[in-house]
Amino acid sequence: MKRKRLLSTILAGVMVLSLAACGSTGSADKGTEAAAPAAQTETPAKEETPAKEEAPAAESTEAGPVELTVCTTFAGEDGNAQNFKASVDAWCAQTGNSVADTSATSDETFKTRVITDFETGSEPDVLFFFNGADANSFIEAGLVMSIDEIRASYPDFASNMNDDLIADSLVDGKKYAVPVNGYWEAMFVNEEVLQAAGVATPGADYTMEQFKADCDKIKAAGYTPIAAALGNIPHYWWEYAIFNNQSPANHLEIPTVDTADSWIAGMNDIKALYEAGYFPENTLSATDDETFAMFTEGKAAFLIDGSWKVGGIVNACQSDPEDPSTLDQNKLDHFNVTYVPGQGSRKATDLIGGLSMGYYITKAAWDDPAKRDAAVSFVSYMTSDEVVPLFAQHTASALKNAPAVDTTKFNSLQVKAMAMMSDVTSLTGAVQDLFMGDCRISTFDGMPEIVTGAVSAEDAVLEGLNTYYAQ
Amino acid sequence: MGANIYRNKKPAIVFLVPAFLFMAVYLYYPFLQNVFNSFQEIKILGGRGSGLTDPWYGNYVKMATDPIIRTALKNTLLMIAATLVGQVGIAIVLAIMVDNIRIGKTFYRTVFFFPIVVSATALGLLFNLIFLYDKGMLNQILEKFGKTTLTDWKGEGIALLTMMIPVVWQYVGFYFVILVTGLNNIDDSLYEAAYIDGASTWQKIRYISLPLIRNVICTCCVLGVTGALKVFDLPWTMFPKGMPLKSTFLTGTYMYYQTMEAKNVDYGSAIAVFIVVLGIVLSQVVNRIFRQKEDWEA
Repeated sequence: MKRKRLLSTILAGVMVLSLAACGSTGSADKGTEAAAPAAQTETPAKEETPAKEEAPAAESTEAGPVELTVCTTFAGEDGNAQNFKASVDAWCAQTGNSVADTSATSDETFKTRVITDFETGSEPDVLFFFNGADANSFIEAGLVMSIDEIRASYPDFASNMNDDLIADSLVDGKKYAVPVNGYWEAMFVNEEVLQAAGVATPGADYTMEQFKADCDKIKAAGYTPIAAALGNIPHYWWEYAIFNNQSPANHLEIPTVDTADSWIAGMNDIKALYEAGYFPENTLSATDDETFAMFTEGKAAFLIDGSWKVGGIVNACQSDPEDPSTLDQNKLDHFNVTYVPGQGSRKATDLIGGLSMGYYITKAAWDDPAKRDAAVSFVSYMTSDEVVPLFAQHTASALKNAPAVDTTKFNSLQVKAMAMMSDVTSLTGAVQDLFMGDCRISTFDGMPEIVTGAVSAEDAVLEGLNTYYAQ
Repeated sequence: MGANIYRNKKPAIVFLVPAFLFMAVYLYYPFLQNVFNSFQEIKILGGRGSGLTDPWYGNYVKMATDPIIRTALKNTLLMIAATLVGQVGIAIVLAIMVDNIRIGKTFYRTVFFFPIVVSATALGLLFNLIFLYDKGMLNQILEKFGKTTLTDWKGEGIALLTMMIPVVWQYVGFYFVILVTGLNNIDDSLYEAAYIDGASTWQKIRYISLPLIRNVICTCCVLGVTGALKVFDLPWTMFPKGMPLKSTFLTGTYMYYQTMEAKNVDYGSAIAVFIVVLGIVLSQVVNRIFRQKEDWEA
């Protein structure tokens, strides 16, 4: 009996303690915060960082090894995933700090995860994220620090950047995210497939009519013309289909329900391509990874994607994606990158691109005396004149003094990307970065319904616009 | 002391209060908050609502006219049927077969139970490879047998079946172990008597095994139905966002989609309330259909 009583008492005690523990998270954190500075007397991180910000002396002497939670999109097939790992390792080695890397491939799920993390108070210390409408919620909530606020304590923070090229927040016009590398969206081609179908690699004057004619030839040769998973990642086709019915001058203007003709026409253009059978047979049920594999394995000819896919294609040409020495150069040489076919007022050389992402320092990290220095140091390091060129490569950067690009270190696809970029006539931001959240649902997640005719393009577009203007 | 401890209820109450608090904090409060949220306009998870929807029961009206929730409900009911027939049904057959062999019982128990210990997400990824359109295991096998075209196992029309196969497969072993344990509890003397009377194997199963494990089967059916209502991770891993054409949504995956992907937190809350009501109703129905009987009733 005594044993049962004892057991019951222990069980009841455990339950009460679990309730008490859950209710006292804040105090537990405070305890950590209080204890942290005492433990930070070993390594003066400030002195060892390559960045040149001047932190208050008291803080730099107290700074010591801390663990920063960092979340970026440098993961998976992102071309800079390896660069990011190497840079993080270098920063950790120099400062003695450590990084808990929660990076993930950039997609809608990633965006949702990040925004939810902010909403539930579990945001990272440093975040590499979009600077468009996707960031509105946590900027509105005051959960990230503006560059000006950081400069009030660290005057040299991001001083190597051209402020004019750093995007203003759509919320308050302030600058929050320190950019690293720009991006472009263009059309990758598998020239092995093109050769087999008797199609020439498209050039700077490529039109939609020529594209359709080429697709017919490719299809007749037994290949899939376009590698795209419309049920998973229709984003790139969505953007360019709308762009093809507009011009660089007005692409970033979100239409009203009365002026949405260009958007509706864009959706109908994708529907026409689907009905012509240019997309993979399983485009509505495939994932982006599957259709990308079709492209790299020589079963599909065209792939519209971003500059980050250069690294993904290179990885696909390596027998060991982690080991660059295993690169199959012959296979890589079959890939090229060119312009998305133009139409109407948009020339093929008018591309989607810009500086759409950057490093944020969260307020949680800023308010934590143990982490503030480390967070500033980390962002300063990752956006330094030495590190940014590693990431920017064939894309743009916001550096004031961008060093000359050493193309001898580039692989063949990067060199082709540089050549393609040299003839670009304009770079326009993606309107989907302004068209945030649930207003995209009807045309992004709803793309399969649009192309199959289950929902008309007009209904889907108007539903999205109505949601946008109701926000 | 002695029997007095049974008359004094205070210690019992003291010990029950923490458990009640635990349930109140982690179950009843979130549930009531969720009901409240279903009447609010909420776009941000964890954020405060911007007021009542117009009308205040708007989300429930929307649910009544939402064709996707009907698809999700139909799929969930099909999943329940697949669970009863596939999981419990196959488990009964396997349990009886294993019960009738002399050697290898432990081996089969382990083999059939093994999928339970693997995470559903990992299984989802595994089956993604099996059902892959290009170079998937299944299509490669069919190619070996001379099929010249690829089958889109995740395509419209066949996607639901593709989703149900791994879900059913994963939990067969769970019910198998429960049923084998039930069969082991049957006294061997009954089988010996039947043998002496000249009963065939089928007659022994029909008139001894199945009647005596009826209650175990009922328990498995109740567990199967309630489990099918909660299936989430494996279908979401294989068919995110109800792909293709939102035809594979279950009530649980649709609630997650609305809350986490479409940012309709209030509508997701309303779907959650619907799932709870559905669960209660189905549990009552299942309990009535499969209610356990005392041995003398059997």
